[in-house]
Amino acid sequence: MSTRIVAESGFHSPGPADFEFPPLFGEGTFFTKPMLVIVLGTIAVGAFFYFAARRSTLVPGKLQFAGEAVYGFVRDGIARDAIGREGIKYVPYLVTLFGFIAVLNISGIIPVLQLPATSKIAIPLFLALISWVIYNYVGISRQGFGGYFKNMMFPPGVPKAIYPLLAPLEFFSTFIVRPFTLTLRLTFNMFAGHLVLLLTILGGEYLIFEYQGLVGIAAGSVSILFSIVLTFFEAFVQILQAYVFVLLSAIYIGGALSHEH
Amino acid sequence: MSPDDPDDTRRTDQTSAWDAFSLVVSGVAVWGGVGWLVSEWLNSRVFLVLGLLVGMGSALYLVWVRYGKP
Repeated sequence: MSTRIVAESGFHSPGPADFEFPPLFGEGTFFTKPMLVIVLGTIAVGAFFYFAARRSTLVPGKLQFAGEAVYGFVRDGIARDAIGREGIKYVPYLVTLFGFIAVLNISGIIPVLQLPATSKIAIPLFLALISWVIYNYVGISRQGFGGYFKNMMFPPGVPKAIYPLLAPLEFFSTFIVRPFTLTLRLTFNMFAGHLVLLLTILGGEYLIFEYQGLVGIAAGSVSILFSIVLTFFEAFVQILQAYVFVLLSAIYIGGALSHEH
Repeated sequence: MSPDDPDDTRRTDQTSAWDAFSLVVSGVAVWGGVGWLVSEWLNSRVFLVLGLLVGMGSALYLVWVRYGKP
């Protein structure tokens, strides 16, 4: 019933259609808003690390300090924890990955942009595929082609008769489920967060300016206030999801490097 | 990987939580999928249920073997 009232009064509730964008420069061109966010985000990440690393001094300036903080966090908090001593080799990839995802996520709460580009599934999917290629490559080059698959699919300490039951599980888990969960976790966290923000902001605006009356203004104000709280919450989720994506990539690389025997 | 190295034990703890999840999903997907195919083929739903149960069971067993043993 409530949906009918809303529909009749003309409020357009946000949905997946809000993630489809027309070309920015008119019919026939291909450049859309998510692409703009990616380009800007890439430039931002590149510029940040370039200027942070340029003219590094022993007593760091503000920018250098920020750059080193991000680098140190990924190196100590992710690479060293999840991969171990060999992790230092993969820090450049992990730092880049973290910066890229974090910036594309955060673009969801930056005024005017206000779109987490990572809510378009192609981006997390490709990043997950890169991680997938890396950890499989690392595993195969470290343990040998046969050894990698043997260690993965035939865990020690299991009666031989059960292997036919377990080996497909391990294979499926490592080759299919891992990249998919990486992709879906990031995409739909950003997707859902963006929807919630759209709903509270647009809904509040509609209640105040279109529905009006005491009820409309009161409920609309609550909705707007709530959207501010949710924006801070989203900022937290956006950084957290970037961290989780990178942490899992590092864990997979670490697992491929040294399989438990 | 030596168990007395604090760096290494912390790493295994983290890995197991995420891998366990991934394994349980795989168990249900793989053997549930096989069961579903057999069900479609033989027109009997028993095999789907059987597949799901086998999948869950073997996934949980695998989690126990990998991470549950001291």
